Amino acid sequence: MKRLIKLAVNGTEHEVAVNARETLLDLLRNHLHLTGAKLGCDQQVCGSCTVLLDGLPVSSCSVLALDADGCSVLTIEGLASDGELHPIQRAFIEKGALQCAYCIPGMILAVKALQDQLSNPSEEEIRHFLAGNICRCGCQMEILQVARLMTQAAR
Amino acid sequence: MGLRDFEYIEPRTVKEACAGLTEHPEEARIYAGGTSLLLLMKQGIVRPTYLVNIKKISNLRYIRNDSPTLKIGSLTTHHDLEISPVIKRYFPVVSEAEREIANIRVRSTGTVGGNLGFAEPLTDLPPIFIALDASVRIEGPQAERTIPLEELFAGYYETTMQPGELLTEILIHQAPPNSGLKYIRFSAGSDKPAVGCAVGVTLDAGSGACREARIVLGCVAPTPLRVREAEAILKGKEFRPELAEQAAQIAARACSPLADLRGSEDYKRDIVRVLTRRAVAEAYQKAGAARA
Repeated sequence: MKRLIKLAVNGTEHEVAVNARETLLDLLRNHLHLTGAKLGCDQQVCGSCTVLLDGLPVSSCSVLALDADGCSVLTIEGLASDGELHPIQRAFIEKGALQCAYCIPGMILAVKALQDQLSNPSEEEIRHFLAGNICRCGCQMEILQVARLMTQAAR
Repeated sequence: MGLRDFEYIEPRTVKEACAGLTEHPEEARIYAGGTSLLLLMKQGIVRPTYLVNIKKISNLRYIRNDSPTLKIGSLTTHHDLEISPVIKRYFPVVSEAEREIANIRVRSTGTVGGNLGFAEPLTDLPPIFIALDASVRIEGPQAERTIPLEELFAGYYETTMQPGELLTEILIHQAPPNSGLKYIRFSAGSDKPAVGCAVGVTLDAGSGACREARIVLGCVAPTPLRVREAEAILKGKEFRPELAEQAAQIAARACSPLADLRGSEDYKRDIVRVLTRRAVAEAYQKAGAARA
């Protein structure tokens, strides 16, 4: 049986009929055609499906779509505004902090959550916060550089 | 992998949740953060017909300081505990352990009640909470009861909760003066712990001898394991390295770890020995520092 849920995705209100067994990632990708969030490990380890649910980073692969009823969701598609990339997105490009980029939508949202949650974090706090987002291409050093730049710029 | 079909129930009160669970005693599972449950459902290991989502129940997410008792609502997330100033102040061992659990996403969704009620063996909180002599409040369709946390666990992924019952609150008491608590986890990076050891001691203010001791192992038995024989070794005695080693050897013998990709049985036993020895020494030291 499908249930109707209401949620705001990237600032736009949606009403979607979902099956109980569908995940938030299914909802975003299959119903709303927002394919930025990626399915990676499917067990909350890799972080490539990271989106912000009411501001908190979650693994959208392991949260039911029904859980997002009445919530606001931010995905990578909602970060740029008026055709202007978000400063975090620009910094990823400028620092070359990506290779295949499969992990990058999740990585950028993780940096966004870090920026929102901690002001002026230490190196250790940055590494601890981002430890659950994995880049298998090996761009961690550049990604950390971006994270430092962004959290310091926001100071 | 995808989830199999199930019926979804969304109670608004504890009463409704208990009713839903009572109606389907065998086929219903409680869904809170889902961090462990959904994983097992994706793998087809757990196949509930009904999923009872308790997250829409209000008033189950709180950290309340009713000194000397701290009350934690079962829907409180790991992240809530990690950043709580009250926890940091009175139970720093809990904040430190929370910080090491999985990753920020799991901590943001996973709940404390779910962590305990799911009885997943490879986890950090149960040994720490048992060392702190925590209790849990369990509400059922007819009555509610409060039991020592130690009595909640019945086996791997099994608890003593009856069908229809819901864990609603965790109660931890501030330790008496001259107490020290140490938890050490052994794991590869952000992986689940392979071994955990929590040691709490309370020393006599005058002599510095141990009055109360709790040695609780995590991950190395079907349930969190209190090693009472090792606790008895410490009682009435001041700290000596040989004493810690003796208790540690008893702990290593008492546990029954399973061999897995995290280590062989013998390897884990040896880790238990080393962690227990260190945790006993540090718990004494902390209690001694509190005494000074």
